Amino acid sequence: MKNRILTFVTILILFFAGSTLLAQKFEQPVLISSAGQSADVKLVKMLAQRQSLNATTVLMAKPEDLTGFRTLVIVPGFSSKGLGAAGISQQDEIDRIQSLIKAANDLKIPIVLMHIGGNARRQGQSDAFNQLVADNSKQMLVVKQGDEDGFFSAISRAKNIPLTLVEKIAETAEPLGNLFK
Amino acid sequence: MIKRTLQLILLLVLILNPGIRGQSVYPSKGMNGMAATAHPLASAAAIDMLKSGGNAVDAAVAAAFTIGVVEPDGSGLGGGGGMVIYLKNEQKSWFINYYGRSSERATELDFSSSRDNSTAKAIGVPGTVAGLLMAHEKFGSLPLKKVMEPAISHAEYGFPIDQTLAKLILDNIDKIMSDPATASVFLDDGFPRMEGEILVQRNLGKVLRLIAEQGRDGFYEGELASSFVEGIRARGGVLSEKDFSSYQPKLTVPLQGTYRGYDILSSNVPQSGISLIQGLNMLENFDLAASGHFSESAKTLHVMAEVGKLTYADRYQYLADPDFVSVPVAGLTSKEYALERFNSINQSKLDPPRYRDAKYGDPGMFDKSYRKEPVLDEEPAGGHTTHLSVIDKEGNTVALTQTLGLFFGSGQTVSGVLFNSAMTNYSYNSGNVNYLQNSKQCRTSITPTILLKNGNPFLVVGSPGASRIITTLIELVVNVIDFGMDVNEANLAPRFYSQKFEDYLHVEAGIKPEVRAELEWMGHTVKVYEGIDLFFGGAQMIYVNPTTGEYSGSADKRRGGMAIGY
Repeated sequence: MKNRILTFVTILILFFAGSTLLAQKFEQPVLISSAGQSADVKLVKMLAQRQSLNATTVLMAKPEDLTGFRTLVIVPGFSSKGLGAAGISQQDEIDRIQSLIKAANDLKIPIVLMHIGGNARRQGQSDAFNQLVADNSKQMLVVKQGDEDGFFSAISRAKNIPLTLVEKIAETAEPLGNLFK
Repeated sequence: MIKRTLQLILLLVLILNPGIRGQSVYPSKGMNGMAATAHPLASAAAIDMLKSGGNAVDAAVAAAFTIGVVEPDGSGLGGGGGMVIYLKNEQKSWFINYYGRSSERATELDFSSSRDNSTAKAIGVPGTVAGLLMAHEKFGSLPLKKVMEPAISHAEYGFPIDQTLAKLILDNIDKIMSDPATASVFLDDGFPRMEGEILVQRNLGKVLRLIAEQGRDGFYEGELASSFVEGIRARGGVLSEKDFSSYQPKLTVPLQGTYRGYDILSSNVPQSGISLIQGLNMLENFDLAASGHFSESAKTLHVMAEVGKLTYADRYQYLADPDFVSVPVAGLTSKEYALERFNSINQSKLDPPRYRDAKYGDPGMFDKSYRKEPVLDEEPAGGHTTHLSVIDKEGNTVALTQTLGLFFGSGQTVSGVLFNSAMTNYSYNSGNVNYLQNSKQCRTSITPTILLKNGNPFLVVGSPGASRIITTLIELVVNVIDFGMDVNEANLAPRFYSQKFEDYLHVEAGIKPEVRAELEWMGHTVKVYEGIDLFFGGAQMIYVNPTTGEYSGSADKRRGGMAIGY
C-alpha cells in the first residue's frame, strides 16, 4: 500500500513538474509587429508601456529585426489605409508575416497573438492574418468581441494554444504583463 | 422615453446581428416616404418627421443633424455640404451650397496638407448649421425644435456604436488621440470605444440645443462662436469671429443635364455635379447595354475608366470657386464637347499608357462666356463624407451630401463641435484654379443628385468617398438606366475607380478575373480589393417606379446604413 501511495505521489509530482516544464515561457525583450498594418499595433504598444515591458515596435518587422528579442507579439488586423501608407499589397504583407513567423520558429522565439480590434478586425481580409498568426502562436490574448463566433476558441482547442479572453482593450494590459512574470 | 428605449433596443439588435448589417440585403419599399442614410437612427429621424406631417426637407434636415451625431466621423456641425431639393408640385429645384470657406486670413497660415491635416490650421469656416437652417427656414414646415429633437436626444442619451464607426475610431486613433477633447469622446480609459458601447456626446447635445433655441445666431454669433474662435486660435488656427458671423450658404439652382432621356439635377460648382454630367454625356456616345456590364466586359470597363480619367483631367483643370475663377460650365456640360472628348478615347487599349499623362480638353470652344484661366495641377487628397436621400408622399425630394473633409475632420473638438479639415482641399500651387485664397470655397467632389423622368423623381443618389464619388455615381446611374438593375443590385454591384492622378485602376473583386486579366493586357495596372470596400463609397439611393410610384430604397453595404420606407 505504501509503495502504491509513493508511486502515485511520484507520478503526481512528475505530472505537475512536466506541465510546468511544458508551459510556454515568455521573456523580455519583446518585439511587437503588425500583421495587416492596422492601427491596432499602436494601441498594443501603449498597453505594453502601461505594463512597463521592455518592448520595441516595428510595424513591418523582418526576420533580421528579431535579433536580440525573446518574444514576438503580433497584432493581426487588415487596414487598406495602413497597407496603402506602407506602399505594399495584401500579398506582400502575408509574405512578410510568413517569413517573420518562420524566422521566429527557427530561433525558438515564441509568438503571442494580440487581437484587440473586436468585430472591426474580423472577417473579410482580416481573417487571413488572424488565421496565419493564430495558427503559429503559443498564446492568444483576444478582446472577446473578436471571438463572438468562436474563431479563436476553435483554433485554441484544435491546437492546444492557451487563449485569454477579455472584455475591453484596456483589460488586455494585465494579462499581457502577466505573461512575463 | 419608452419609444426611445424601444428604438435603441431595435438598433442594438440591428447593429449586433451581422446578418442584418447593411440593409442592401433587405430592400425597403414604401408609397408614402423613404429615407436612405448611413445610419438607421438618421433614417428613423427622417421617417419620424414625415409621419409627423413634415415634408422631405424637414426629414432631410432632421436626418442631417442626426447623422452628424450618430456618424460623427463623416459629418457634423463643424463641416459643410450641399443639398439638391426638388419640389414636385411646383416643378422647381434648388441647390443649397453650404460647404465651408477659407478664413478671411487663411493665406497668413503656413499650411501643409500632409503636416497639418490633423491640426486647427486645417479648419475652414463651417457651413452645415447655416445650410441646414436655411433649408428648413425656406422649405420646411415643422418647428425647428421638432426637427432637431432626434439629434439632441441621441447626443445627450447616447447610441450604440456600430461596426463602421468602431472600425473608423481604430483606424484614426492617432488623430483622435491628438486632441484631448476629441479623445474624451471616442476613447475610454485611453483606448477606443468598441462596437456596441453607448457613445454619449453631452457637449455636442448642448450646442444642438442652443441651435434649436436660437437658430443660426446661436452657432455663428455670441458666446459660442467666440469660444470656437478662441479654441481654434489657441491651437494655431486663424478663424475669426467675422469668419463665423459673415458666413452665408448659397441658394441657387442645381446644375442641370440629361442622360438618355432623364433629367439630371446635381450640385453646382465648385461641387462636382458638373463632372457627373460630363461623364454621363460622354457615355451617351457608347452603347453600354450592348457592350455588357463592366463587371463582365473589359471593353465596357475600359471605356468607362477612360471616361473617368478624362473627366477628372478636366475637373482638375477647370473646376474651382466661380466667385474667384471663370468656370466653363456650359462647355463642360455640352453634348458636343462630350462627343469630342469621347472620340479621343482609344477603345482597345490604354492610351496614353500612364493615367497621369491624360490631357485636359478645351471646353472653351463650346462656351463663349469662358475666360481662360492659368494652368493647374493635382488636387490634394480628398475627404470622407456622408450622403442621405429622402422623398416624401408628394414626391418632394432631397439629395444631401455633407462632410468634415477627412474622417473625423481636423480631429479638433472645440466646445463640443468636431471641426472640419477643409484646408486640405485647396491647391497650394499658385497656378491652380483651386489655389488657396482668403474667403474662397474649395473644389469638392460631393455630388448629391436627383434624376427626373418627365418631371417625376426617378432616382435620388449620392455617396461619400472623396474623389471616388464621381466614378461611383456614374456607375450607379448606368447600373439602373443602362443595365436595368434595381437599386439594391445597382448598389451592391462591384465597383471600380479611375482618374487622372492615379497609378492604378482600382476594382472590387466582383469584377471577374478574366476581365481584370484583359484590362491588364490593355495596359491598365489593376489593383484588386477583396469583397466590397468602403474605399468605393457608401451610396444611399431611392428609386421611384415610374409605373406604380412605389419607392425602393437601398443603403450601401460598404458602410453601415439603412433605408426605411413606409
